Amino acid sequence: MDSAARWTARLEIIAPLTLFACGLWVFVFTPTETEQGFVQKIMYIHVPSVVVTYLAFFVTFALGIAYLWKRLLVFDRIAKVSAEIGLIFCAMVLFSGAIWGRPTWGTYWVWDARLTTTLLLFLIFLGYFLLRLSVQDREKEARFASVLGIVGFLDIPIVHKSVEWWRTLHQPSTLFKVQEGAAKPAMPAELLYPLLASMFAMLLFYGYLLLLRWQMEENQDQLHEELAQRVI
Amino acid sequence: MKTRHKFVIGGAAIFVVLAALSVQGLQEMTVYFYTPQEVLAAPTNFQEKTIRIGALVQPGTVEWDARSIRLAFHITEDSIRSIPVIYEGVKPDMFREGQGVVVEGRMENGIFEAQQLLVKHSEEYKVDHNQVASKVDYYKSVIQ
Repeated sequence: MDSAARWTARLEIIAPLTLFACGLWVFVFTPTETEQGFVQKIMYIHVPSVVVTYLAFFVTFALGIAYLWKRLLVFDRIAKVSAEIGLIFCAMVLFSGAIWGRPTWGTYWVWDARLTTTLLLFLIFLGYFLLRLSVQDREKEARFASVLGIVGFLDIPIVHKSVEWWRTLHQPSTLFKVQEGAAKPAMPAELLYPLLASMFAMLLFYGYLLLLRWQMEENQDQLHEELAQRVI
Repeated sequence: MKTRHKFVIGGAAIFVVLAALSVQGLQEMTVYFYTPQEVLAAPTNFQEKTIRIGALVQPGTVEWDARSIRLAFHITEDSIRSIPVIYEGVKPDMFREGQGVVVEGRMENGIFEAQQLLVKHSEEYKVDHNQVASKVDYYKSVIQ
């Protein structure tokens, strides 16, 4: 727990600085994309948010399995706070995508497979928190939430592959584009490197948020236990 | 009839309706648009019906009348067989010849009357070094 607090303090400084540096890189030193122009900058929020959403819900999935196996509440706490962060980043994906879609496609929203499955992901994890709120018993809450977290995560491979499996308005992946048999990003290095850096910065920010929320959750549960003992 | 049986029958009925709805929804979702070849191969299936077609804007066919806000062009996959499209509305910024588009509307006498025109963006990103001399200069011009 002490080392968690130390890392939180470190990341509290490192993560915002890295994000700020990426902002400078993207807005001042990165050339403008030829076809879309300035609008392409939204990608530097959109794609890193996707990465964090995938990771955050994967953590919820993995720790859901860990909880069902070992029945340790610490796994459930991390699963919960990770899902919270994932939900916020998923909302950011939907928002930034809509803002990008309007000037590029000509619409904020379409019901194609990529967008619909992403909205579904958001709704599943919104339901995840409703489920948590509706159960009083802490162990029962953890059990139910673990199951929903595991099932809900299974939407992510569908989201990711939707652009290949079905005909969508959303374009296929730029980063994992297969050219001549090998995965090769379909963008020049000047646009790619700041994107990779933004992904790294956003992951640091996720790490910070996760550690901070996890400690809050630990303290909260501890407080609840102590209060319960005093009442008895 | 026992209460439990009622629940089973009711549950089964709800399940069947939901399954039918999601199959229909899935078909619509998984095929966001048809291709010109599919439409031209079976034109009768697509009459009197609002559909979406996704294809490329055929170069040399675009006619834009800014005064009456009317856009006419052909869409094609193979540059051989194409469908003429009429769209009454503002031309999207990203619209250009050879660009992928998705049009929503109806076939009327062999002409596709589009109510909505969406531009499909490709996954390719490019930088033209001749166009953008300096990024800092560009941002200065944006601010001014």
